[in-house]
Amino acid sequence: MSYAYLFKYIIIGDTGVGKSCLLLQFTDKRFQPVHDLTIGVEFGARMITIDGKQIKLQIWDTAGQESFRSITRSYYRGAAGALLVYDITRRDTFNHLTTWLEDARQHSSSNMVIMLIGNKSDLEARRDVKKEEGEAFAREHGLIFMETSAKTAANVEEAFINTAKEIYQKIQDGVFDINNEANGIKIGPQHSLTNPGMSSSSGGGNQSSGCC
Amino acid sequence: MELVSLLSRMSFYLPIRHRQSCTRVAVLPSSDFFISTVERLCDRVQSSTLLEDRRDAVRALKSLSKKYCLEVGSQAMEILISVLQTDRNDTEIVGYAVETLTNVMCNEPYEEEDEPPRALPEDLGIQFTEMFIKDPENISLLLSLLEEYDFHVRWPTVKLITTLLINKGKAIQEIILTSPMGVSKMMDLLSDSREIIRNDGLLLLIQLTRSNTNIQKIVAFENAFERLLDIIAEEGNSNGGIVVEDCLLLLLNLLKNNSSNQNFFKEGSFINRLPAYFELEPADQSPQGGWSAQKVTNIHLMLQLVRTLVSPNGPQQQTMACQKAVFQCGLLEKLCNILMASGVPADVLTETINTVSEVIRGNQGNQEYFASVLAPSNPPRPAIVVLLMSMVNEKQPFVLRCAVLYCFESFLYKNELGQSQIISTLLPTTAEVNTITAGQLLCGGLFSSDPLSTWFAAVALMHAVFDNAKQKEQLLRVQLATSLGNPPVSLLQQCSNILAQGAKLQTRVGLLMLLSEWLSNCPAAVNHFLSNNANIPFLISQVSASEGDEMELIVQSLCAFLLGICILYNSEQVEGFAKHDLRNIIEKRIGLEQFTDKLLQVSKHEAYSRAAKKPQLNIQQTSDILFDHQFTKLFKQLENEVIRAISPGSDEENEAEKKKQVALEQHESIVEQYKGIIREQDSQLNIVRGELSELQNKHKECNTKVEELGRQIQQLKDQNALLKAQRTGSIPVSSPKENGISVTQLTMDLDAKTLQVKENEQEIEKLKAELTKALGTASSHDHGQVNAMVNDSSSPNMSGDQFSVEDLNRKLECKEEEVKLYKNKYESMSKQLVQLREQMTSGDLQEDKHSLTQRVSELEFNLTAAEIEKKRAVDNEICAQDKLKAVIEEKAALEEKVKKFEKDMAELEIELEEVKASATEGKKDQEDLLILLAEHESKLKTYRDRLKELGEKVEDDLDDDDDDLDGDDDED
Repeated sequence: MSYAYLFKYIIIGDTGVGKSCLLLQFTDKRFQPVHDLTIGVEFGARMITIDGKQIKLQIWDTAGQESFRSITRSYYRGAAGALLVYDITRRDTFNHLTTWLEDARQHSSSNMVIMLIGNKSDLEARRDVKKEEGEAFAREHGLIFMETSAKTAANVEEAFINTAKEIYQKIQDGVFDINNEANGIKIGPQHSLTNPGMSSSSGGGNQSSGCC
Repeated sequence: MELVSLLSRMSFYLPIRHRQSCTRVAVLPSSDFFISTVERLCDRVQSSTLLEDRRDAVRALKSLSKKYCLEVGSQAMEILISVLQTDRNDTEIVGYAVETLTNVMCNEPYEEEDEPPRALPEDLGIQFTEMFIKDPENISLLLSLLEEYDFHVRWPTVKLITTLLINKGKAIQEIILTSPMGVSKMMDLLSDSREIIRNDGLLLLIQLTRSNTNIQKIVAFENAFERLLDIIAEEGNSNGGIVVEDCLLLLLNLLKNNSSNQNFFKEGSFINRLPAYFELEPADQSPQGGWSAQKVTNIHLMLQLVRTLVSPNGPQQQTMACQKAVFQCGLLEKLCNILMASGVPADVLTETINTVSEVIRGNQGNQEYFASVLAPSNPPRPAIVVLLMSMVNEKQPFVLRCAVLYCFESFLYKNELGQSQIISTLLPTTAEVNTITAGQLLCGGLFSSDPLSTWFAAVALMHAVFDNAKQKEQLLRVQLATSLGNPPVSLLQQCSNILAQGAKLQTRVGLLMLLSEWLSNCPAAVNHFLSNNANIPFLISQVSASEGDEMELIVQSLCAFLLGICILYNSEQVEGFAKHDLRNIIEKRIGLEQFTDKLLQVSKHEAYSRAAKKPQLNIQQTSDILFDHQFTKLFKQLENEVIRAISPGSDEENEAEKKKQVALEQHESIVEQYKGIIREQDSQLNIVRGELSELQNKHKECNTKVEELGRQIQQLKDQNALLKAQRTGSIPVSSPKENGISVTQLTMDLDAKTLQVKENEQEIEKLKAELTKALGTASSHDHGQVNAMVNDSSSPNMSGDQFSVEDLNRKLECKEEEVKLYKNKYESMSKQLVQLREQMTSGDLQEDKHSLTQRVSELEFNLTAAEIEKKRAVDNEICAQDKLKAVIEEKAALEEKVKKFEKDMAELEIELEEVKASATEGKKDQEDLLILLAEHESKLKTYRDRLKELGEKVEDDLDDDDDDLDGDDDED
């Protein structure tokens, strides 16, 4: 399956906030109420369409436990997008966002798009974190925000796709260096054929900088 | 501290070294000299202030480090580490230091021709490695050295890290995992333009990724697959050198037992790049060409790569997905081409067959494709037939024959269609005479003199009927023509006959496995088997035999199993061999204990557990071949049932068994019922869930409506406020009641005024009449002419006496006063009107407004109550909805009221307009009156003038009036 762009995502956040369930809902469109703890990192992928272009999303779902934190850090640099997830029924997961965000900002490329997600919006009765608080946090730190439910699938598609839209927009604005794969973005084989002039000229640029 | 512990370790080795040096003292007088040199060099590195001195010293240490690794390692390690930190800027000294450390830690024995190697502890390198990594910072230090582009630093660093990983892989992997950029720094080595660094980087990564799933995943995340596949392609795929081999080894490390990476590999469409590896060039296919050893190695690894992706031991879903991808990208086709090509080395061919097996195993689409593959023979034959020919050919290599069996099994695994296709080639109706079929080959193999061929054919046939009752019955129809003149014999009987003739071990084991599978779950086959009187006695004799070696024991055990199956699937149709008959025979002739003991021999055998592990035959020698994987499954499934079936079995107990069976069935039916109930409940639950979500949606809607209503109320409030503001502003607004009162007052006033005006007019009339009278008297005085018409403009002759004129004047004055009075009244009325207006402005609408506000707040209260109730319980939905309706109605009522109110206001405004109009009318009347008065005045003047003309004296005070009425005079 050919694609115009490939984006790498990571999903981060405290343990038990529903990261793996979000991924499963997005890739397989199903919900698994009982899920094993993620060990290290798990991989998932799906194709989406933005602006009429096929975009492949490769998603690494990380373990939320403290003991895996150092492993998770290895994934920040190569990711174009991150979904930072908390659980709206557990305030502590919201309180830990700052730590996660610091970690992400420290180890990622500065252009990484971060989407803040308040998951489990189906559990309105047990809500512990107001939507406004999430919105305020996102505003304060320049993130996109959304409340989702991996169980009912509410906003799950949107969360992944809106992140991709933001990355796509950044590419259009020339913020991302799409020829550097370390950014977590890759141009599809078919797409690079349509822009041979562009890729060759930038390749030349790279060479000259290598000489210096 | 570190040094102290080092030295304490040293003391452990010292005796060895002393013994060595003592024995060799005559030959090697210089050994001690070098040892003391190491000390002096260490001193120099530590104390010298000149970089060049230090550099020379480190270089010297390096040259000694291979031969005297123990001494250099124990004395110089700390010093060398500090060199790496302090002299970081000098690439040369750093390079020497890193190389020295590598020499110390790698376990390569130092060899020199004139000198036998010193006996050093084997794990010396490992121990030095342990010392080195005691401080994890040292690993970080090395990782930072990797960033140094200079060849003299980067290359030895790569080698040192590789050495460390070889010695203490697990510990170093853990340290690297805690360093966020560690793995990516090592991955960057693959992009180094200097090939030697890239290649050694590969070796480093192979060590790094050994059995550590987390590191494997990070390496994959860092685009390893793409980089490696690119390098393989650049190097010429399978024709490439050892670099291709290293790349493949790394790929295998990343993929083996790592389903996340396998999924990534598949999702990244990297499988699409594999077909190119199996492209055969013409040179590869010529018989004399011969493949290079490197190419054979590369292809082997490439095949392993494919097998890793479609491994039958992996998660089934993923295996299926990969199998599909392998087919779709044409890789299966390429592999089948190799199967049918000539000139392919036997071991490559064997491994390709194994690979194809796993690509098609259990995947219907791939199995169908495989069945359609034709060999390029003349005439073309199906690939399956060609492969089976090799399987039953004793001249073919053993491993190849095993691979073909595996391929055949995989083709039939979960493939009913394939099974029926194979069996049908055995049946008389479709068997063609001229072509070789699979069935013919299998039959030929079954009765071959080569025990292995029999074993292979028997197992293959067993897979053709495995778990397929229909094909088992079909197979019963197969008849064999043995020799001329003799009647044909059934395939089943022929198998039993060979068994009874006491063939070779593997032949018997193969046939017994085939018969066990064939008879299990197939009463027709059991009947057929029992109908030959010789079969049961043979089995009994085998099971009851007491002598025999280990292998004979296996055969006896399998015979017991077959006997058990004959009881288990007995339909009681063969006289003398019904269940209880067989049970009796076993009890009398063998004894239950011995039977059970014999039966369990199979599962105790080592070959059994080996075969149970995985589908592919895991056998190196022909003599080891014994059990098939699927057969072990069958045995496991039935052994307990067999034991139960023969256990103390009188008929009563059989009855009891039956009862139990019935009870069990009942139980099962109850369970079934419960299952049904559960299913029902499940569906109900689903419905309820659906309803719940619907209700939740409705609730959501309601909430939005409530919000909307809240907004509308706000709007209404705003409007209200606006109205209030307007009321206090310029536009006069009044409440209907108050307004009504004031209007009636106004109307009353007006009425009164009109009345007064009428009175006034009447009085004017009276005045006119009097005037006429006066005129009449005047004229009668003068000319006797009286003009009766007051309004007549023709000048009447004025004549009268002064008296009456004076009287007239008085009356006129009186009139004038009255007019003034009217004027005043009018003014006061106007004032009243203004007052009224003011009253209206300051209006007492407030009461109504207040009630309105109250109602609004009441409404708000209701709304909040409704909201609270909504929140409280979702199942109060309907109640809430009712309330909502009420709210909506109230809202409508409110809106209506507001409308009414607006209408009232409009009406009021109209009334006001009317009042104003009537007021202006009153004013007009007044004006008319004034005009009338003025006319009278002018007439009076003319009369007066007339009187003057007539010579009457007129009082002066009237002159003022004259002046006042001048304008009127002019008009006249």
